[in-house]
Amino acid sequence: MSEDAKKNFHYKNIDLLKRYITETGKIIPARVSNVTASEQRKLTKAVKIARFLALLPYTDSHR
Amino acid sequence: MNNYELTLILNPDLSSKFDDFQSKFDKILSDIGFSVKKLENIGRRQLAYSILNHNKGHYAIYQLEGPAEGALELETKLKYDTSVIRHLLLKVDTLSLEDSLLMIESQEAKKAPAEEIKVIPPKAKVVVVPKSDETVVEDPKITESE
Repeated sequence: MSEDAKKNFHYKNIDLLKRYITETGKIIPARVSNVTASEQRKLTKAVKIARFLALLPYTDSHR
Repeated sequence: MNNYELTLILNPDLSSKFDDFQSKFDKILSDIGFSVKKLENIGRRQLAYSILNHNKGHYAIYQLEGPAEGALELETKLKYDTSVIRHLLLKVDTLSLEDSLLMIESQEAKKAPAEEIKVIPPKAKVVVVPKSDETVVEDPKITESE
């Protein structure tokens, strides 16, 4: 975890975001992933934008 | 003047006509006083879920600069443009003029099949370098012996 001390949570950085969502597409809570509070806010925003742009799924049951 | 980042998902069937769309869209942008600082034509991409029965979409990311009134107008124009299946206009503090990770990803995906053919030329170049520099020749020998 220490290697990515500066986490670039951005909606175009899908590979990073994918590590912070579950198989079902849910965002992993900060208490589980040990992400700082400010990072978690950025992560949440980024994931939600990425979902809107169909870069990430909302759920695992899209049709 | 504000900075904006516009992501478009275009109808994948019109992917080949992107140039036509681009020239039309550039006119729309210039009419409302927007200037394009960077355009990333990412191309077709698999959608995480289907939008309007499309499973693929043609992505394009614009870095724009323009007035706030124009942004509203742009939103309405995009809303009624049938070739745009989804759009997102974000106001940003600073424009990112470097290639985005999406762009890099799509370029790598395009390169991957072509690399197999291109593998031979770089190897040939490497051989040429030691020949020209005598000092360099010693280094490969050391590595070879190891």
